[in-house]
Parts: sequence; C-alpha cells; structure tokens
Amino acid sequence: MRPYFEKMAAFGHELKKGELKRAEDNVRQFKDAETALEQEGEKVKQVGLSAEQVNSRGQLTVWQRLEYLVDPGTWIPLHTLFNPEDNEEGTTNVVDGLGKISGRWAVIIGFDNKVMAGAWLPGQADNVLRITNLSKRLNIPLVWLVNCSGVKLTEQEKFYPNRRGSGATFYRHAELEQLGIPILAGIYGTNPAGGGYQSISPTILFAHKDCNIAVGGAGIVSGMAPKGGFDAAAAEDIIDKAKHFKAEPPGTVKIHYDETGFFRYVYEEEQGVLDGLKSFMEGIPAYHPKFFRVAEPAPPRFSAEDLYRLLPLEQKRVYDFDEVLSRLVDNSEHMEFRPGYGPEVYTGLVKIDGFLVGCIGNRQGYLGKGYPEYADYQAMGGKLYRQGLIKMNEFVTLCGRDRVPIVWFQDTTGIDVGDLAEKAELLGLGQSLIYSIQQTDVPMLLVVLRKGTAAAHYVMGGPTANRHNAFTLGTAATEIYVMHGETAAVATYSRRLVKEKEAGRPLEPVIESMNKLADEYRENSRPLFCARTGMVDEIVSMTGLRGYLAAFAGAVYQNPTSICPQHQMFLPRVIKG
Amino acid sequence: MAQNITAPLSGKVISLDIKVGKKVEEDDEALVIEALKMENPVYAPCNGTVKEIKVAVGDLVEEDQVLAVIE
Repeated sequence: MRPYFEKMAAFGHELKKGELKRAEDNVRQFKDAETALEQEGEKVKQVGLSAEQVNSRGQLTVWQRLEYLVDPGTWIPLHTLFNPEDNEEGTTNVVDGLGKISGRWAVIIGFDNKVMAGAWLPGQADNVLRITNLSKRLNIPLVWLVNCSGVKLTEQEKFYPNRRGSGATFYRHAELEQLGIPILAGIYGTNPAGGGYQSISPTILFAHKDCNIAVGGAGIVSGMAPKGGFDAAAAEDIIDKAKHFKAEPPGTVKIHYDETGFFRYVYEEEQGVLDGLKSFMEGIPAYHPKFFRVAEPAPPRFSAEDLYRLLPLEQKRVYDFDEVLSRLVDNSEHMEFRPGYGPEVYTGLVKIDGFLVGCIGNRQGYLGKGYPEYADYQAMGGKLYRQGLIKMNEFVTLCGRDRVPIVWFQDTTGIDVGDLAEKAELLGLGQSLIYSIQQTDVPMLLVVLRKGTAAAHYVMGGPTANRHNAFTLGTAATEIYVMHGETAAVATYSRRLVKEKEAGRPLEPVIESMNKLADEYRENSRPLFCARTGMVDEIVSMTGLRGYLAAFAGAVYQNPTSICPQHQMFLPRVIKG
Repeated sequence: MAQNITAPLSGKVISLDIKVGKKVEEDDEALVIEALKMENPVYAPCNGTVKEIKVAVGDLVEEDQVLAVIE
C-alpha cells in the first residue's frame, strides 16, 4: 500500500503576513491562558511535604520515582488537575499518565506519598477507574507505584463504599488480568487495608525492603474489639499497642517474602524496585513499530506555533480547521474522505508518527449556498447537518473495518434543530453515529479544541463513548456545556418573564437571575473547571498536542487485539475511488 | 484597478476596520459579519487604498453584496 500512504496529498498553507499580523493578540492571550493553567498544575505537583522532607526519611517522592522509571521525554501526564470532590488537599492523591518504560508504552499511576502517605481521598476511585479503562482500551500494561496508607478516615463515606468506590479498583485489576493485561506494582512504605489490596491485586509485586502490606495496619490492629467507649486505661493500652505495631507493623517483607511469597522480588534500594519494573517491561508483548507503520515518521511541514494563530480564543470567531490539522500530522499530508459532501465535517486519513489514524473534526464558518439541502437557511460549521452525520457514520464504520484508530476534534455548537432538521432525520442519524462508534471497537481520542456542546459532544466520540474514548483532551480555549449560558437563561426564565410582565411586577429580579445563570455557565465550562471535574482528562498546550496524539497512536499500535492487513484495507480504496 | 470586497455570507456588519482613503494590505481584516452567532471576518483581497465603503456597522447585508471598494 506504499502508493497510498508513503506520500499523501499535501494540505495547509504557510501563513501570510496579514494572517500573522492579525493573530498577534490571539497568540498572546492564548499563551497567557496556558501559563495560568500550567501554574495550577504546578501547584498540584507541590502539594504536601517537600521533596527534601520525603528524601530525609530515606524515600523518594512519587515524582522522583517516575523520573527514574519513565524513559526520558515520553511522560504524557493525565488528570493533573482532576479533583472532582474539591479536596482540601488539592489532589485526588494519585499521579498518572502514559509513558514508555524500557521502550514500551504503559499506563502508569502512583500514589503521591507527599500527601498523607498516599491516602485514598475522595475522587481518587474515579481517577483510577479512568486509568484502568485506559489500560483496557489500549491493551497495554498498567504500572503502579503503590505507597498507600489507606482510607482518609475522616471522609470515608465519600469513597470507601459504593458501586464505583475505591474497592472497584481491585475488581478492575482482576478484569485486566482476565483480559491478559498485566499489572506491575512497585511497592513502598506502609500499605494497610485498602493499601494492602492496592498491593496484592496486581499481577507481579516488586517490593522495597521496608514496605509492608496487610489486611489491617498498625492503627486498626491496635483498635480492634470496641468496648463501648474510651477511658484512661484504654488510652494506655492503645499507646502500648501502637508503639509495638510501629516497630513491627503487620505484613512486612519477613512475612510476605519469606513466609507467603506474595512479593516476587525484594529490593534494598528504592531504585532497585524501579529497575525491577523496567526489566519486566522489556518482556512485555509489543510489536516493533515497523509492523504497523505505513510510512517513516515525519514532523508536520508547518510550525506548531501556528496553532496559536489559527485557533481563535474568542469562541465566536471562525477559523480553518484543515489548517489546524495540517500542523498536527506527519508531513502535513492526508487522504480526505468524501471532500465536498457534508462540508461541516472533516473526515480523513492521516499519519501520526508513521501510524495510520482517522481524523474527524468540525469545520467552521459559512458552508455556502444551497447547504443544508433540506432547508433554505444558511448553514454554519460547528453545527451538524444531515450530510455531515451520514459522512461520519460511514467514515467511522470504515475505520472500524480497517482497524484504524480515530482522533476526534470537537468545536461544535450542536446538531441542527427545527422541524426541517427532524424531517431530515438528524435525531436518528446522531444516534446512528453512536451505534457506529460502538460497532468499531477501535480506540479513540477526543480533543475538544473549543466548544463541546449539546448532543454533538456525545455523538462525536465524546467521553461518554465509554468503551471507545481512551481519553479526552482540552485546550486553553475549551468550553463544555449543554448549551450557551445565555441560551440556558432564556430557556429557563422566558415563561417567568412573561408571567411577571403580565402581573405588572418588576422584571429586574428575573433579569438578575438570568445573568447569574449565564455567569455560572461561563465559570463552569472553562478549562480549569473541565479538568477539575473530569470533563477532560488533561488540558494540553497547543504545541504539546502532537505529543499526545503520537503517544496515543504508539500505544494503540503497540499490541492491538485485532489487525487488518494494510493491503486489505478498504477505506483508502473508497477514498481513491 | 479597483477590487470589490463582497459579503461571503448574509448577516449583520458588527465591525468595520477600514476607512476611506486609508491604505490596506492583502489579508488585513476589513470588517466582520455576524451570522448564526458566529463572527465571520472579511479580509482585504489585495493591497491598496479604500476608495469607498458601502455599509455601516449594524447593516444587514446579503451574500455577494459589495461592501467596499479598494483601489
């Protein structure tokens, strides 16, 4: 298939003087917004004890462990700002992302041992669920750096119980193992109760000499057998027991290496544990990239800096999506699927790091006379119409057939509305797209370039495509909401306005409520909010986007569960005609 | 030779960034038309001087309507 893939059609153009000049303000504002978000990320990294404090105890921090473990330049952080329960600690207390270890992609997660010795906190279970899902979707190993003191007891009701509570992790681990996906765990420190199961549930356990894992730790063992209250004698008894268990906690290496053999290996040094993980990662099943590459990797022909000029931070401004895409893909080449049909949507094959990937994105701006064909009104990109929905259904289905992963780029105001749109079957075609996605069983990545709105946010490979969406990225321009805040204010208060007017009452209180609602929508759709609540899995800088795309492609093609021989692919032939 | 700036779509003129007698460069933003809540910038098609502006902010314009003339 060399004639198809080695050299595809070039797209994109060098920005002209006028384009560069008028984008100056946008570049500055965009970068300022990114800097503010990066500072938020830095704050999360610094929470808890300092590295010096942790190091003075003879331990490394989770960040130092990751730095030693992960191949340089391959760390792709996820969930940096995720804190859906607004924990006072400022974190869910796990650090995670994609990274290469010994040249192979893995999903990597570690407890932040700077905060409450790596305790379970509210929101953490959801974070872990996301990464176990990611491991499953990409069919790549999960690597844990366990250092978990167990439940933060004063908030246990928020995450200990429930269907998706912290214990769900252990079933998820079992599910991954059932699927043949290994979980490697480096184990440090004291890991009682929940921490014990965090340690025992993975596939192979690499222990540091000072670690311990147990059904119940020192605290719980000293406090068993409730007596109906506490008195001075009980307090003295607790003190004695606590001292004893501090010196000799349950489940040390003496028990779990020498007696039970749960620990496969024990290491004297902290780095030794990480070396153990590295050596096992060398043996993880992974195809050589040449097995699946369709061409030699090549950078885009245009600078990624252009992305700050091409994507307006101002939501109402239109732009050229194809130009944006040309800054992200190998050699700025593509094979567009059905150009001219469904002009509001781009669909096409591109190469990312030499791997074939399908891309779908909302185009922006006026779509020209006569479109949509079912109505006599003007059509604007960002919205979805009949042809665009049909085209996406076709493209997704063919990608599934050819086992090509998909990257979605959303900047959508929703699906066209009104009786003409209903007659044109848009409701049915939107759900058809969901069905088509479900049928593909190929991993997908979503980038919410700007707006993710209404049902279009669902149907275009949104995070709700649970079994397919590997992760979702946002930018400093991302906004996610069911509808614009002012639209929501009208929908909520229009009848009330009529009523108040007819009753001769003042309208000001209603107007005030409308403005308040619009303001809340604005705040609760901004990138920081999206990242904290998990609407996106990470906010990424425009120049950092390609790294995420390359990591996704590399991970997808590392050890796929199903393959299509390149010469038997159908989609490229459909495009060629 | 005079060149027209025409409306690429129907909508409302919400800003004018050119003035009669002033120079413009190709791809400078000349004006912005709002339609379906989106702002569509219209760019100068060539280098030149603005000879005439046929619309004002707030005007509703039709697709292909001549908005300004550059010489």
